[in-house]
Amino acid sequence: MKQDSNLPLEYSTETNEMNILGFWIFLGAEIMLFATLFTTYFVYVDRGVGSGPAGSEIFEITPVLIETILLLTSSFTIGLAVHAMRINRVKAMIGFMIVTLLLGAAFISVEVYEFIHYYHVGATLQTSGFTAILLTTLGTHGAHVTLGLFWGIMIIIQICRNGLNARTANKSFIFSLYWHFLDVMWIFIFSFIYLKGMM
Amino acid sequence: MRELFPMKQVNGYIFSLLLTVIALSVYFFDMSYAMGLTILVVTAFIQAGVQLVVFMHAGESKDKNAIYVNTIYGVVIAVLTVLGSLLAMIWGYY
Repeated sequence: MKQDSNLPLEYSTETNEMNILGFWIFLGAEIMLFATLFTTYFVYVDRGVGSGPAGSEIFEITPVLIETILLLTSSFTIGLAVHAMRINRVKAMIGFMIVTLLLGAAFISVEVYEFIHYYHVGATLQTSGFTAILLTTLGTHGAHVTLGLFWGIMIIIQICRNGLNARTANKSFIFSLYWHFLDVMWIFIFSFIYLKGMM
Repeated sequence: MRELFPMKQVNGYIFSLLLTVIALSVYFFDMSYAMGLTILVVTAFIQAGVQLVVFMHAGESKDKNAIYVNTIYGVVIAVLTVLGSLLAMIWGYY
């Protein structure tokens, strides 16, 4: 594999470039996945409540705000990890990745608390069309974050074992794209599910 | 230590927190539905743009055109899916 030293490590081979472009195309498909979830949510949000609770009755601002700040900050720290990678500071990079994953784990914990709260106030997957699509949308996002946690751990292990090279740098960069994408999706959930519901 | 915190990303982070605070105003202040929704749409899409350009380095590589076209295509399909479905199933019946 020929390497171009003018480019950052994660772009340095042709395979690397193709991997990154391919991952962007995957993210395009992910945008559409979430679009279908949002569509169903918007269709059901006012008309699918039935005898179950409406959004304004079950949403709580505090956990939602904590989740938002945790995920925004983790998106910032994974960005710093990529920056540290580009200036070849491997230890700092691993440190930032660990912080990112801890923030991600904290996010999941708050989300689990939130789901338990919904269960206690009688909003389950079977309650109404509204609660079904609400929990499916939040759950799809949460499942993505959970997957990201395991993925991130694997990447940290690989960097510790093999050091920073064209392959591991490429994987780390792609992981950072995934993580930022999850943050973007959360912003839309935060705005159009929670804030719109509590407005 | 300083070189680990590039200004561009720190500013991007502060800006995204600021956008979150602005979006929160729809919760804390009384305003019309149209006004609130406008604020949410504007802040959410700017927020997504900040992530894309500052943190995902979308415009930095030589395949940036492919990346932008792919992303914009995804967003256009997403918006059409949402608005088209609302038009067909909700708005058309009022």
